[in-house]
Amino acid sequence: MKRLLTIILALLAAMSLFASGSSEAASDSSDDTIKIALIIENTIDDKGWCQAMHDGITQAMEMLPGKIEYNYAEKMAVVDAGSMARQYVAEGYDLIIAHGAQYKNTILEMAEEYPDVSFAFGTSSEIGPDNVFTYMPESEETGYINGIIAGSLTKADIVGLVGPVDSGDAARYNRGYVLGVQSVNPDCKILVAHTGSFSDYVKSAEVATSQLASGADMMTGSSQQAIGALRATAESPTAMWVGQDLAQLTTPEGQAKCIAASSYNYAAVIVGLVEKLEAGIKGGECIPMNFNNGGFVFEYNPALEAEWVSPELKAKVDEQIAAFKASAGVLSDWASVDYSTL
Amino acid sequence: MIEMLVNMLSMCIPFSVALLLASLGEMFNQRAGVFNLGCEGMMAMGAFIGMLIPFSAGGGGAVSQWYNVLGFIAAGVLGAFLGLFFGVVTVTFRAPQGIAGIGLQMFGVGTAGTLFRHFVGGTQSIPGIPDISIPFLSSIPFLGDVFFSHNGAVYLAYLFVPLAWYILFKTPWGLKVRAVGTNPRAADSMGINVSRTRYEALMLGGALAGLAGAYLSIAQAKMFSDTLISGRGFIAVALVYFGHWHPLQIMGGALLFTFAQTFQTQIQSMGISFPYELAVMLPYILVIVVLSFTSRNQTTAPTALGKPFNREIRT
Repeated sequence: MKRLLTIILALLAAMSLFASGSSEAASDSSDDTIKIALIIENTIDDKGWCQAMHDGITQAMEMLPGKIEYNYAEKMAVVDAGSMARQYVAEGYDLIIAHGAQYKNTILEMAEEYPDVSFAFGTSSEIGPDNVFTYMPESEETGYINGIIAGSLTKADIVGLVGPVDSGDAARYNRGYVLGVQSVNPDCKILVAHTGSFSDYVKSAEVATSQLASGADMMTGSSQQAIGALRATAESPTAMWVGQDLAQLTTPEGQAKCIAASSYNYAAVIVGLVEKLEAGIKGGECIPMNFNNGGFVFEYNPALEAEWVSPELKAKVDEQIAAFKASAGVLSDWASVDYSTL
Repeated sequence: MIEMLVNMLSMCIPFSVALLLASLGEMFNQRAGVFNLGCEGMMAMGAFIGMLIPFSAGGGGAVSQWYNVLGFIAAGVLGAFLGLFFGVVTVTFRAPQGIAGIGLQMFGVGTAGTLFRHFVGGTQSIPGIPDISIPFLSSIPFLGDVFFSHNGAVYLAYLFVPLAWYILFKTPWGLKVRAVGTNPRAADSMGINVSRTRYEALMLGGALAGLAGAYLSIAQAKMFSDTLISGRGFIAVALVYFGHWHPLQIMGGALLFTFAQTFQTQIQSMGISFPYELAVMLPYILVIVVLSFTSRNQTTAPTALGKPFNREIRT
C-alpha cells in the first residue's frame, strides 16, 4: 500500500509540472459576455492554421474589452472533439469553434443535439443549420499577391510551391499563387508538389529541398507544414520565400528569407460573429474571408523590404490589393488552374 | 534528365539516414527475438532531447557544433534507457511485445510532445549541422554531389552499416544475439544469458532509434514538433522485414524507400498528370509489394521473434 501511494504521489508530482498553460480564460463572466471555445488539431503556436485563429480571437478580445471569455483545447483529434465540445456546452459556452473541415460531421451532430448553442467550423463554403456558422478564406487572393512577388523576383524563372493536400483553402492559395506568378512572368516554371499531410515538417522540407535542387529560387508553402519548407529554404544561399502566415516572419529563418507574408485576419471574423450572436443570429451563414471584408492582412518583412521590393513591384502589389479590396471574387476562375499544364 | 537523377540520388542518401539508423536498431532487437513497435516513440524522444540541447544553449541561434554532438549523445543515451525500460516490460515481465511496443510508441510521442511544450513552447528551429563538401571528392562530376556533399552524421551512419554487419556476424556477442533470437532454449543450455543478451540488444536498438530521431531534429529538419516522426518508426520496422534482418539489405531498403519518396516528389513537381494522392502513396505501396513478393523467402527470420523466454516452461 505504501509502495502504491509512493507511485501515485510521484506521478502526481510529475503531472503537476505540466499542469499549467493548457488553456487560457480571459475576463470575468457577466451576462453580456460571449463565451467562445476553440477546438484545434494542432497547437496555438504552430505558426500556421491554428495559431492564426487563436491570435484572431485574442485580438478580438482586445478589440472588444470584457466582451469575450475564451478557452481552447489543443491537439484534438476528430474522435475527441465531440467529447470536448460537450464539455464546453456543459460549461455554458455560447460559441464553439472547431477549426478545421475535418470536424464537420462532429459539429453538425452537436448542433442538432444542442440547438441553443452556436457552433462554427471551417474551411467550408456550405451553408450550415441555423446554429452553425461556416467560414471560407478565399486565399487565392493571398496566393496571388505572393505569386506576383515570386514571379517578379525569380532570377531562374523557376518557383516552387509545397502544399499539404489539394483541398480547402490550401488548394485556393496554391492556385492563386500560380495565377499570380503567371500574371507577371508567363514563362516561369512553377513546381507544385503536395506532402499529403498538414503537419509532416520533414516531408515538407524534403519536397522543398527537391524543388530547390531543381532550380527554384522563390518558394512558398501553405498550412503549418510549410514551416519545414521554409526551414529548408533557409539552407539555400540564394532562394527566398513568400509566406502564407505572418507568424513565419517572426522565425529566425523567416526574418532572413521571407520577403512578405499574408495572413488570415480572424479577429474580424470573430468580432462579426460576436455581433451576430448579440443580434440573435446563431448560424446558418457562411462567412467568406477576403481582402474586401478585412479577412486578410499582408505585410512585408521590414528587414528585407528595402533590398528585395522595388518601387515598381510594390506598386504592382498595392494595385492588386486595392483591386481585391474594392470587390470580392476577382479571382473567381482560380479553380481552373491545372497543375499538369504548368 | 541526368541532372534530375543526380538531384534525386544526392537527396536519397541524407534523407534515408533516419530510416537506416532506426531500422538497424530494430534489426538488433528482432535478431534477439524482441519485436519492438515502440521505435516511433523512441525516435520522438531522441528527436526532442537532441534538439533541446542545442536549442537551450543558443535559444535557436548559432551554437558550437559540440552542442549538436551532445544532443546526439543524449538522444542515444535516452534511447538506450527506453530500450532498457522496454526490456523490463517484455523480457523480465514477459508482457506481450506488440502491445508493449504500441504503449511505448504512445508514451514516447506523447511525452516528447508534452516536454517540448513545457520546456520549449511552439514550433522552433535550430541551425543544426551544416553539410560538408569533402575536398577534391565533392568536385567529382556526378559522384561528388551524390556521395561527398553531406553532413557528417550521414557518413557516420553509413559507416555503421558494415560495422553492424561485423558486430552481428563476426563477433561472439552477435552470435549470442542471433542465438537467443533463433533458439533461446538452446542458447540457454549453452550458457548464454538470454535475458541479458536481449537487454543489451534492446539498449543498442534503442540508442540507434534515439540517434535516428536526433538526426531528424538536428541534421535534417533542424526543428522539432510532436509530429516530426510522422510514422517513420513504423516504416523502419517494415524495412527490417524488407531487408531480411541483414544490415546491407536494410540499407538497400532504406535507400529504395527514400528514392521512391524523392521520385514521387519529382513526378509532382514536373507537373505530370498523375493524382498526387497516388504519388504520395507510392513509397508505401512499394514496401507492401516488395514484402508480398519476398515473404516466402524469410529463412533468415529469427524464429523466436516475439516469443518471451521462460526457462521454467517447456514449449
